[in-house]
Amino acid sequence: MNSSQTQMDPTAERKLSLAEHAMVLVIICVIGLVGNTVATENTVPQGLIGMAVLYAISMIGLLLTEMIPIKLPSVAWISLVGIIATLPWTPGSEWVIAQAKNVNFLTLATPCLAYAGIAIARREIELAKSSGWKIFIVAVLVMTGTFVGSAFVAQIFL
Amino acid sequence: MHRTMEVVLDWRLHISVLIITIICEMIGVIAIPIGIGSILLLPLLYAFILGLVINPNVIKGAGVWIKDADVRAASPLIVIAIMPFIAKFGTIIGPSMQQIIDAGPALILQELGNLGTIVLAFPIAIIVLRMGRESIGACFSVAREPNIAIIADKYGLKSDEGTGVMGVYVIGTLFGTFIFAILASIFATTGIFSVEALAMACGIGSGSMMAACTGALASAVPTMEEQILALAGASNVLTYATGIYMGVFVALPITEKLYDWFGRKDQPLKAGE
Repeated sequence: MNSSQTQMDPTAERKLSLAEHAMVLVIICVIGLVGNTVATENTVPQGLIGMAVLYAISMIGLLLTEMIPIKLPSVAWISLVGIIATLPWTPGSEWVIAQAKNVNFLTLATPCLAYAGIAIARREIELAKSSGWKIFIVAVLVMTGTFVGSAFVAQIFL
Repeated sequence: MHRTMEVVLDWRLHISVLIITIICEMIGVIAIPIGIGSILLLPLLYAFILGLVINPNVIKGAGVWIKDADVRAASPLIVIAIMPFIAKFGTIIGPSMQQIIDAGPALILQELGNLGTIVLAFPIAIIVLRMGRESIGACFSVAREPNIAIIADKYGLKSDEGTGVMGVYVIGTLFGTFIFAILASIFATTGIFSVEALAMACGIGSGSMMAACTGALASAVPTMEEQILALAGASNVLTYATGIYMGVFVALPITEKLYDWFGRKDQPLKAGE
């Protein structure tokens, strides 16, 4: 793979270490806490404990990503930790669920999309322009296809 | 380490995101009624637009506040910023485990529905738009990062197939959240599919697209929020876990075979022409 190709590949992003993840996640969680306080009736202490729980789950997930040699994205491990921590037969799951309930799920996605908007690079805009209207139509059909396809199969087997 | 500290301490970037988050959450969800239902506008959609507005690559004047270095710093933060959201989804799936097991067969089999990208997009790309081999990269999957890796590995990103997957990736990055919010809003109000089926369909394998999709669905049917989030989250985890294998062993071979049968034999036009 030559250098210009690596540069174009969004999967080739440099990796941050665990310690760096830990620091960045604190900032993200603070922003999430402010958003949660604006968006919901929940108080700051409620949101704070809720965010702390989600922070802990994320960090354990990241730790597992580094330690376990099965190739899964870190978000898959984080999901699994979140699931296991809240299973009915996990001790203390009631408490974890109650704390996490104080954080609104949709609010947590807002900072992420703000970063995503700021991160759009010039080459991505150029690529979108040069790909032309055909790729745009295909992309819309691709997204509609995965959505309708999944809903269709699910509907049959439900 | 020097560059990393730049990312962590890029206060200009984090303050911008903080302010955007506050503005968007204050606006909240807005429903726009259209004939067959209503389209739901979500705070995360405004956040993306506001991010673009202060991006100097989009609006030149924004360069006085956000510099090129901030833009570069923002990129690795996207995947970290979605982590608490993914953790939150985990805490919704856990307590609903019984319900998810009950829906098990549908939940697992609907992963095959992701082949709908080929069913819907590939014939149009080949027959109507008369595209060449870029249709393989464009149509075999929803073109998120793991799928790009598959194409990069097999063809290289400078190939026609690479052009296709990158094109859909970029359009998905720019418009994906809007498209899924609209799809979920419309289907939630038309009643063709059950809410449970639509919830499972929201597990796309991209955090932000799932957020837009479930956000719209849950806002349209608020009484079923817990159930929607549990099923969508479980479906999303399945896609994370199976997506790359599904792409390598099922979707890409099928698309290649179909191209061999129906694809252009003459020198195809490039997508941009």
